[in-house]
Amino acid sequence: MFLRLLWESFARQRRRKILAGLAILLGVTAVTAMLGLATTIGDRIHQELAVYGANIVVYPKADTLDVKVGEQSLKPATGNAYLHEKDLEKLRGIFWANNITGVSPELRASLLFARGLDQRTISVDTVGLWFQHPFGSGITGAPQLHPSWHLQGAWPTPHPQVKDGQYAVVLGSTVAKRLGAAIGDDILLGDSHVTFDSTSPTPAIAADHAKVVGILNTGAAEDNEALLTLADMQDLAELPDAVSRVEVSAKTRPEDAFARRDPDALSPKDRDVWYCRPYANSIAYQIREAIPGAAAEQVRQVEQSEGTILERISGLMWLISAAALLAAAVAVSAAMATAVLERRAEIGLMRSLGASKGRIASLFYAEAGLLAMIAGVGGYVLGSVIAAALTASIFGQAAGVALSTTMLHAFNPVLLPVVLALALIVAVAGSTASIRSALRMDPSAVLRTGA
Amino acid sequence: MTAASVARRKPMSENPDMGHPSGFSGDKKSNGAVSLPRMLVRSLKFRRARSLSALAALTVSAMVATALLTLYADLDAKLHREFRSFGANVVATASGAVALDEGMLRQVQGVVGADVTVAPIAYAVATTDRGTSVVVAGVDFAAMQKLDSWWKVDAWPAGTNDALLGQRAAGFIANEREVTLSYAGKAVTLHGAGRLSTGGDEDSRIYVPMAAFTAWTGVQPTVLEMQVPGGAERVNAAIAALQRAMPGLHVEPVRALVAGESRIVDRTHSLMYGAMLLIALTVAISVLATLSASVLERRRDFALMKALGASQGQLIGHFLLEALVIAAAGGVLGYVLGSGVAWAIGEWNFGTATLPRVSLLPVVLALNLAIAAAAALFPARVLRGLQPAALLKGE
Repeated sequence: MFLRLLWESFARQRRRKILAGLAILLGVTAVTAMLGLATTIGDRIHQELAVYGANIVVYPKADTLDVKVGEQSLKPATGNAYLHEKDLEKLRGIFWANNITGVSPELRASLLFARGLDQRTISVDTVGLWFQHPFGSGITGAPQLHPSWHLQGAWPTPHPQVKDGQYAVVLGSTVAKRLGAAIGDDILLGDSHVTFDSTSPTPAIAADHAKVVGILNTGAAEDNEALLTLADMQDLAELPDAVSRVEVSAKTRPEDAFARRDPDALSPKDRDVWYCRPYANSIAYQIREAIPGAAAEQVRQVEQSEGTILERISGLMWLISAAALLAAAVAVSAAMATAVLERRAEIGLMRSLGASKGRIASLFYAEAGLLAMIAGVGGYVLGSVIAAALTASIFGQAAGVALSTTMLHAFNPVLLPVVLALALIVAVAGSTASIRSALRMDPSAVLRTGA
Repeated sequence: MTAASVARRKPMSENPDMGHPSGFSGDKKSNGAVSLPRMLVRSLKFRRARSLSALAALTVSAMVATALLTLYADLDAKLHREFRSFGANVVATASGAVALDEGMLRQVQGVVGADVTVAPIAYAVATTDRGTSVVVAGVDFAAMQKLDSWWKVDAWPAGTNDALLGQRAAGFIANEREVTLSYAGKAVTLHGAGRLSTGGDEDSRIYVPMAAFTAWTGVQPTVLEMQVPGGAERVNAAIAALQRAMPGLHVEPVRALVAGESRIVDRTHSLMYGAMLLIALTVAISVLATLSASVLERRRDFALMKALGASQGQLIGHFLLEALVIAAAGGVLGYVLGSGVAWAIGEWNFGTATLPRVSLLPVVLALNLAIAAAAALFPARVLRGLQPAALLKGE
């Protein structure tokens, strides 16, 4: 009987149900979409902030001092402390390995460049880097960590055989201008243990041949540099497996007071908590543990500022979600209250036919609950799709995410029970006041006047 | 005695006012037919619960709209302000014979505007007491503190002879308290105020107050780091103005920073816009549904008025006016509440107040009135075909 009443109520009062259901549907849609955006905004903004470069830097502990001002080195780094390239694999074994989104090792040395043997020779800061290097399940390297680099041509590839064939090199725009070299040109480069001295006469260099495969324009220090693959650079500098510095880009949690504590001074329990939170400091600490002889540190300019911006933008999204929730709650409870008030005559009839107040109330609550469930699921689907479409259209181009791939990840299963529970609570709470006031009325009076 | 007489006389003195002929004139004029304003007041008064719930719905809609619009209007400025924590976004380098002395600095500040932080920096390579080469930078610490908020410093140097040691540079100095440096044969002893750690190039340098630096090395500043507030247009304008006024300076934006900043601000802007539309739509449709349902519910009133001789136009006018009065009240109330919410969010999330925007009041009012008008007119079609007699009988 109860189920039949419920069924008939939905089947016969379609207009009213649609009205109340529409309010719930829209409310849940807005809340789901906002929550969906708020929970993923952190990752998106982190991707966008990647233009500012790595937030953790790793260098050998026994390093020498860089004598470097702005864009140019005043003295070549003559240090002889290096990290091992093969140790970088260990980064994948640290606790927060999954938060590491990019790794870019580099090896620097000054090399001599010339268009030909009898041409002007210039000394150029040359950097060996990873390009399209497989790391874990993805591909990483310098271009991934520096999306703002503007390259004409192609990234260098390791040259096929040692001491045979040509090295592939990318020149910074200023270097290319000074050399008068263009893409496709052959140039000579020499390994050099010379000091920084651009007036040195054309040396009899044991020249290697290289091909210019690209010109890089960054508006920063790289314009004055030349780029090779790390393997070639190690070969040229005769430093196998050596890496002088590693840039690491990691998803981190904004720093708070606890993050700034010294882990070695914490109690074992606090230390575990500190260790298991993705602070830049704890990731740097784990990298120090994993790679022997390494010092790792957060790049404060990037990390601190990113933290603030991430916090502000996601804070804003959460607050807007709260606004959406409030608006949806008011709208849904108003719609539910109206739906019950409209049916006072029905309640009066049921009362006069002998239904107990409890039975009537439970019928109405069951209706509200069922409506909340149906409209809630619809709103969840609609809201997830809207959130995915918004994300794809706003962040899509830069992150290289197509609409179809965002749609695949659109449905966050954790959100479904959350929004359904919210819809249920709001629908039941919204109808409670009017159900109670309707039940308090004298059935005969309601039946006589009620329309 | 006087108090008692005043108390007794007071109501008396008000009597003439209450009984003043003009007080009745309004009623007299409308004696023939029930006046619209009066019906409106009565209708709002006697159906208080219903009017209040409509008022609440319209207040919430105006509140949400005001809060979101206020935040939206202020969003770019707020985000750009946050991005200033990345430090300098314009770097000027002196080329050739241009000296960045005091007079030049004032000139630069005059060109770019007073709200731009300008930090002059001079560099020299000196030798430490251990014989290592190290970059020493002469700076204005007050400007650096403003510019580079991410610097982690034990204590900012206050004295004229205090130096700040980069943490890696500090490893190459024997005595960190009394730092002895030599440049071109001239030695100087500075007081080490503390260590600096940034994770960047700064870690390998020693920072010295500008006056002490020039007195020691005789080297003038060659670099100006500038923090221009606002977006890319403002940065480009400042660069163009500097290039025009001072051709001797090589002025460059910090490209990655400026480009990334405008992209993130744009993205957040669009996201906020999408969210705003979504929420506005939800609120508008829900309020519309609620209000039109409550109008439908008053079919009996409608029928009675029709039976008493009211025309269709009069009836719709009545409902419309009633809805508009509530909408206007809700709009004003919601504007005040929404401005408060926006202020609180601005204060809480961004640390700066978001001031109410008077220009939004007409927008919010118009939105609210449009929703209310639609809600009142929507059921009019249903009510037109109504048979008063049948409805009044209870069918």
